[in-house]
Amino acid sequence: MRRAWDGIVDFVVGDDLWIAVAVAVLLGGAALVVHLGGEAWWVLPLGVPAALWISLQRARRSTRDAEGAS
Amino acid sequence: MTGNLLVFLGSALASAVEMVEALTIVLALGVTRGWRAPLQGAVAALVTLAVIVAVLGPALQAVPIALLRVVVGSLLLVFGLQWLRKAILRASGLKALHDEEEAFAEEVAAARAAGREVGGIDRYAFVISFKSTLLEGLEVAFIVITLGVNQGATVIAAAGAAVALLVVGALGALVRHPLSRVPENTLKFAVGVMLTSFGTFWAGEGVGIDWPGSDGALAFLIALTVVWSLAFARLLGRQAKAATA
Repeated sequence: MRRAWDGIVDFVVGDDLWIAVAVAVLLGGAALVVHLGGEAWWVLPLGVPAALWISLQRARRSTRDAEGAS
Repeated sequence: MTGNLLVFLGSALASAVEMVEALTIVLALGVTRGWRAPLQGAVAALVTLAVIVAVLGPALQAVPIALLRVVVGSLLLVFGLQWLRKAILRASGLKALHDEEEAFAEEVAAARAAGREVGGIDRYAFVISFKSTLLEGLEVAFIVITLGVNQGATVIAAAGAAVALLVVGALGALVRHPLSRVPENTLKFAVGVMLTSFGTFWAGEGVGIDWPGSDGALAFLIALTVVWSLAFARLLGRQAKAATA
């Protein structure tokens, strides 16, 4: 059961949990803007690349740290 | 029309990438342990997959469309971003390129090391072939079903996957060798762009976003995603070079 759950989480979340969290936050933010009556079409086109850029920088830093440690 | 074409292309590209991965393993097993058991494993996995799709497909159609768009859109968006992340890290040199030749060699070594069944079926080859075909196939099925159901074009999405199966299968039969000439990172990049764009569009619609230009916004999102992804790959490559200089 535990292994099946881990498999599902790995399938959905993948290599970086940050991306899944960022997507959830962005969608929540967009839904909130819509709920408040604002235009929300810009939230995802701006937020999605920003989220990936942060994830890429995290990967770059961890690669650098790993190289520094070896 | 444009939406259907994009669904077809997205489905075909995503399916091709997953199929190349499964085919590499089946070919490695076939070359080292004979073709019977790996092919039986692959066929058994495809039958299992067909049953799963037959059950899952109609069940998805019963879910309210707004909820489906949020759930499926956000899953596609997460998948797409993960694919793009890998492709950009590889393009910038921060991650090693996925080498099908190397994966093939590793599978061959593992297959040779495993014990051989005397008489009857080669269980090792059957199980490895079954597992890899089923896992990669599940990813294909998920993408095909979600692309198809959201756009109301399940047949077109399935046709995209079928074309990919024919092309990848024909290549595999011709070369009987890892499909290392298929530029996997380029394919992954293209699939990442498609999944991210579709995911953004549908998840956005699901939470109530009214996209300017309606369905036309999808083409804009694809173009935008291509631009920023290429820019990220270039920027990250420069950062990696500067760090090693």
